[in-house]
Amino acid sequence: MERRWSRRQFLGRAAGGALAVPSLAAILAACQKPGTDTSGGGGAEATTGPIPIATPENPVELPLNGEPIATDTPIEAGATLQVYNWIDYMYKKTLKAFEEEYDVTIEWTTFNNMEEGVQKLVAGQVQPDVFFPTTDYISRLVERDLIQPLNHELIPNLGSVVWPSFTDPGPFYDLGARYTVPYTIYTTGVAYRRDRVDDADAVAQAYDLLWNPEYAGEIAYYDSYRDAIGMALIRNGVTDTNTNDPAAIDAAKESILEIVNDLDGQIRINGTYAKLPEGEFTVSQSWSGDIVGAQWYLPKGTSWDVLGYWYPDDEPGMIGNDTIVIPTTAQNPRLAHEFLNFFLSEEHGTENFASWNGYQPPFTSLEPANLIDEGIVPPALDRAVVTENMFTTGLIQSQLPPEDDKLWLDAWAEIQTGG
Amino acid sequence: MAGAEATTSTTGERRGAGRADEAAGRSGAWFPRWYWPSFTVPGTAWLLVLFVLPFYTVMSVAFGTVDPLFRTPLPVYQPWWWSFDTFGETLRKFYAGDAIYQEPLLRTFLYVISASLLCLVIGYAVAYYTARYAGRFRIVILITLVAPFFISYLMRIYAWQSLLQPDGYINDVWGLVGDPVTWLAGRPVTVILGLVYGYIPFMILPLYGSLDRIDQSMLEAGRDLGAGPWQTFRRVTLPMSKPAILAGLVIVSLPMFGDYYTNDLLGSERTSMLGNVIDDAVSQSGRGPEAGSLTIVLMLIVVIPMIYYLRETRRAAGHA
Repeated sequence: MERRWSRRQFLGRAAGGALAVPSLAAILAACQKPGTDTSGGGGAEATTGPIPIATPENPVELPLNGEPIATDTPIEAGATLQVYNWIDYMYKKTLKAFEEEYDVTIEWTTFNNMEEGVQKLVAGQVQPDVFFPTTDYISRLVERDLIQPLNHELIPNLGSVVWPSFTDPGPFYDLGARYTVPYTIYTTGVAYRRDRVDDADAVAQAYDLLWNPEYAGEIAYYDSYRDAIGMALIRNGVTDTNTNDPAAIDAAKESILEIVNDLDGQIRINGTYAKLPEGEFTVSQSWSGDIVGAQWYLPKGTSWDVLGYWYPDDEPGMIGNDTIVIPTTAQNPRLAHEFLNFFLSEEHGTENFASWNGYQPPFTSLEPANLIDEGIVPPALDRAVVTENMFTTGLIQSQLPPEDDKLWLDAWAEIQTGG
Repeated sequence: MAGAEATTSTTGERRGAGRADEAAGRSGAWFPRWYWPSFTVPGTAWLLVLFVLPFYTVMSVAFGTVDPLFRTPLPVYQPWWWSFDTFGETLRKFYAGDAIYQEPLLRTFLYVISASLLCLVIGYAVAYYTARYAGRFRIVILITLVAPFFISYLMRIYAWQSLLQPDGYINDVWGLVGDPVTWLAGRPVTVILGLVYGYIPFMILPLYGSLDRIDQSMLEAGRDLGAGPWQTFRRVTLPMSKPAILAGLVIVSLPMFGDYYTNDLLGSERTSMLGNVIDDAVSQSGRGPEAGSLTIVLMLIVVIPMIYYLRETRRAAGHA
């Protein structure tokens, strides 16, 4: 889910892939053949056993790998809070407000995709106080003792501001929200130019918008294998977006190759938020947050009414959320709790969303109608507003077992070579 | 490469020792035995730290394993634990089954060879003109050639993106003769032109240096002996600039073989080259060893033109 490779992802990637070189200590410590011990390759001693894969049908209550910090822990004064986040996935002004309120410094470190982010954390190359993993990594982070349980008394906004479903019973990947708080929520649909595609026509075409030869050469698709293959599966009538059926995955692969080879489409991450507003694309696969954020990329003089977003309302579509966690090695765990609470406050969480990020936080105060009335979301993008009940029917991507994941990755590798 | 380094350092030692003896005999100055060989230390250190060590790490990743839980690459630094399964599997993807890497491999060769030859043809003309006929504008032309380097390559490619996009200026002009073209939707011609654009200065500069040094009297001698302008060019100028042509081709083609950002920005999956395949494998979980294996394959591929270049230059040195 590389959505938040986002804005300057190309710069980041083109500047050089990040294959982390291990520290000297890690090399010297490698007395045992790596990857052979079940507790996990020379990392920290794991206290919990293997955790079953969490799905909406089989929610998981993660085992506690320790005690949360005490409520009376003093806030670390004058600290430097290490924030480790997706590149450009947080509004700088809101971060500055946090620094001012607590009189601390924030050190901002970014990653371009989840693999890179996790790799550096696992290897100990970063020791952040706050980290932003996708939900499919949570149980593994707990299994390896890389994140710590949260003290809910220190995050009162979780109970009062956030949708109740995120605390009671809590999300399927972390019942009781023992380790995580939600950061943003999003759906995955199709963005289109309303000056070229009629709204009613878009609804009629649905996913086929992306396969319409009429828009050949003006189609963008995400460079993110779970979302890309996932949407092609749904379009082909397969609603299990975690499928391990080789035939279904193969058909989805062929569908995407059709976009690349027959429809002159492009697989790129910035299609929706940057290139659709510029007019380069007419239709694009789209996370709801990307199309809301696209308003900041419109050329001068172009009305935001040109931005359209389709997401199914008569059948389930893809939906998901991102999280914030506190790693075990955090130097400032108490301040990190304040940080979580800060971004879950109505004032600052909303500012982060509305003034720049485009990705909505799951706050009860953010009513769909209000978001449009207050000018946060363009009126034509009403379908890009995420509501709590969308989660009850929505298609959620869960962690894939390695052997299933390989099917997906192999299909994706073939797509990336042009088939 | 390490071999070449070793040879230079031994010859350096031999010659150096000889020269030290001579110098000592003539002027009384004395250099200890290690004095001249010590000059190779920075070069050797550079090679060790920035080539041998990283390459060993790449091999450790390629022949290593992945973290069982996170599927991140787990390099194995002990050669006795190396496993060549992934490497073999990666090689098979070039010719067996779906052979998904075959097309990127063919594309890589096609694009690199076309782009290098285009660089040569265009670059030779520019260098020839600058060296022979530019007169007092020579400096201006050279500065103009280097000037684009003051702007980041990425910025320049972004500029190309907006020129080439469906409603860009290129299509405005192209529209006069044909239908608009989606230049950025994976067109080999766009990628080749991007490569030419990015690397051509590296071709022009060595060619210019070589053509500029050709002694005018050689050309006059050729004309005196009855050769026409074309024959003079073919039998005097061209052979004398051959080392520079080879050097230019090596300098532009080697990085082109590993180039992935030109394609990332101007091409699509349809034009993926080996560099893109490696980049894609690096950023996906569980495919670290495969990325390492591909890097080694690419390395073996670029060694071939390098060996040819070394042989040719050695032969040229033998003639001189």
